[in-house]
Amino acid sequence: MEKEKPVVSVRHLKKYFVANRHVFGATDYVKAIDDVSFDIMPGETVGLVGESGCGKSTLARTIIRIYEPGEGEIIYKNTDIAHLSNRKMRAYRNKMQMIFQDPYASLNPRLTVAEIIAEPMEIYNMYTKKEREEKVQELLEQVGLKPDHITRYPHEFSGGQRQRIGIARTLALDPDFIICDEPISALDVSIQAQIINLLEKIQDEKKLSYLFIAHDLTMVRHISHKIGVMYLGHLVEFGEAEEVYKNPLHPYTQALISAAPVADPVLSRTQERIKLEGEVPSPIHTPSGCPFSPRCPECRPECRIDPPVVANVNGHKVACYKYV
Amino acid sequence: MPLLEIKNLSVQFQTRHGIVNAVRDVNFSLEKGELLGIVGESGSGKSVGMLAVMGLLAGNGRITEGEIWFNGRNISPVAEEFKNDPKGYDRYMKQIRGKDLSMIFQDPMTYLNPVLKIGTQITEGIIKHEKCSKQEAKKRAIALMQQVGIPSAEERFSQYPFEFSGGMRQRIVIAIALSCNPKLIIADEPTTALDVTVQAQIIDLLKAIVKEQDTSIIMITHDLGVVAKMCNSVNIMYAGKVVEHGTIDDIFYRPQHPYTKGLLNSVKTHDSTKRQSLSSIPGTPPDLLKLNTGCAFMPRCREAMKICKDYLPEAASFGEEQYASCWHYCKEHADRIVSKQSERMMSEEVS
Repeated sequence: MEKEKPVVSVRHLKKYFVANRHVFGATDYVKAIDDVSFDIMPGETVGLVGESGCGKSTLARTIIRIYEPGEGEIIYKNTDIAHLSNRKMRAYRNKMQMIFQDPYASLNPRLTVAEIIAEPMEIYNMYTKKEREEKVQELLEQVGLKPDHITRYPHEFSGGQRQRIGIARTLALDPDFIICDEPISALDVSIQAQIINLLEKIQDEKKLSYLFIAHDLTMVRHISHKIGVMYLGHLVEFGEAEEVYKNPLHPYTQALISAAPVADPVLSRTQERIKLEGEVPSPIHTPSGCPFSPRCPECRPECRIDPPVVANVNGHKVACYKYV
Repeated sequence: MPLLEIKNLSVQFQTRHGIVNAVRDVNFSLEKGELLGIVGESGSGKSVGMLAVMGLLAGNGRITEGEIWFNGRNISPVAEEFKNDPKGYDRYMKQIRGKDLSMIFQDPMTYLNPVLKIGTQITEGIIKHEKCSKQEAKKRAIALMQQVGIPSAEERFSQYPFEFSGGMRQRIVIAIALSCNPKLIIADEPTTALDVTVQAQIIDLLKAIVKEQDTSIIMITHDLGVVAKMCNSVNIMYAGKVVEHGTIDDIFYRPQHPYTKGLLNSVKTHDSTKRQSLSSIPGTPPDLLKLNTGCAFMPRCREAMKICKDYLPEAASFGEEQYASCWHYCKEHADRIVSKQSERMMSEEVS
């Protein structure tokens, strides 16, 4: 049997933003993404975790070309879309959709639910008007909203319901790759589980691939098949979700997991936290060598000179000198 | 005597759409040195209740009834002493606010004044409440900054908020809250805006403060993980009411109220094998403008009974500290009400 091919595969992707142009010579760059590579398989969820400013949202937005990528390749089913023209890109945009963090800001308040969900189909000239109406009904049902909700406006819904509307809209174009940019962090705890269940149900039905961004480590662990950990624009660790959690290799991942609060008093009393020194450095003046070296409890002299190459420990990738 | 005791507190807001009862008949008390967590979803009244204690309600909100005993004195604006003397209430609150009673807010980005130096903002309260000189206040401010873990405090004393990272700003906010050795600190989601590693640092800091200074902290949060890590006891709030109270072990290992159980189940992802769906609470949070007369959680409750719709459940106690307001635990009383009701209906039919 032929081996399954990844839906999206990112190769050595870079994205620098210009921070400051000096009058003479040098330009300062924010290295938002620095040499990131990974694959997303069909029907698979890849979770991206990391602290604010580590580049996880930028990475997601660069992959679907909301931001213009720098060097590197983004291969969507055999085509490198990283540097396609906008006109050529149009044929791929409908296959890659995004669910946004804030369900209050991502829906147009002046459109009804039906109009919001039908809009992408209109833009892509899909179906006749009648078919579109049917499709909207079908999508509403899929995301757990009632048929009579279709004439209402977003302000009449709660946060969780709005997020469902947003999900219905992303599904309208039958995408095969969806970016979920912190889709649950603006929702109440009791609603978060509902949305996670919905996303999993849809994935199983349609064999979708997700790139799931979050800072809540427990939810990422639950929904993801694989997890990537980012620090200062670098993907420092990537592997099977359970493997990354149970056996984190990179010192930063170890610290991150040990700091996550657990909803269990006894466990959290015994939980030993790896204390990190200092704070995340500015992405403009990144340290030479390993980005984590100034805060790393296990830093060695070589870490400060060259960035580590990615080591492969039983299919679990980690960028750290400990494993080279 | 407890440090803070709240009895029958109710808070109302006048809005365009009608009256919202944001806090409904809340009772609890807090001992010295205690770390109490208040957990609830948005709109459950957890912040509003505490703002009412601080005397910081928005203009359209008011305490309709209730007693707030703090440090041996009733500081509710509807107390006998202040009922006809709103100016006296304001004067008294200004005396204790920032001194005995201080608050840490959620977002350190907006809480600090961007055009004032950090030093000015920390010393403001010290100079006002402790009546000391500027030099003295500066010395104390620098000591505070060191205590909350800000490196090169002396240099940083004369910097502006934009020169600090989010975690550092939250440390400054904590330093301000600590500046006059308060008896009670109310922390309104102090770590929600922060990253996990920074959050863990702030939690350690707050715990150390409680240990060293014998301060009490009320921690408002929606994160059960933070509560498990930090608090001694927990109030679970839903639609303006405390539906369950207990020590953290009670709440996490022996939850009684269906809402508490639901909340805990929806975050229990650890042992769940892959692709097993999370158990979620169905439905949506209640609209406070359209509450039924009975238990507010009834429409989403898996264990709801007929009586829950029209009658408010009473608190049933479990062990020393824990209590939960649910009809399942006062069945006898429920049966009495139901039989009375059916009697009445029978007699109405006869007549």
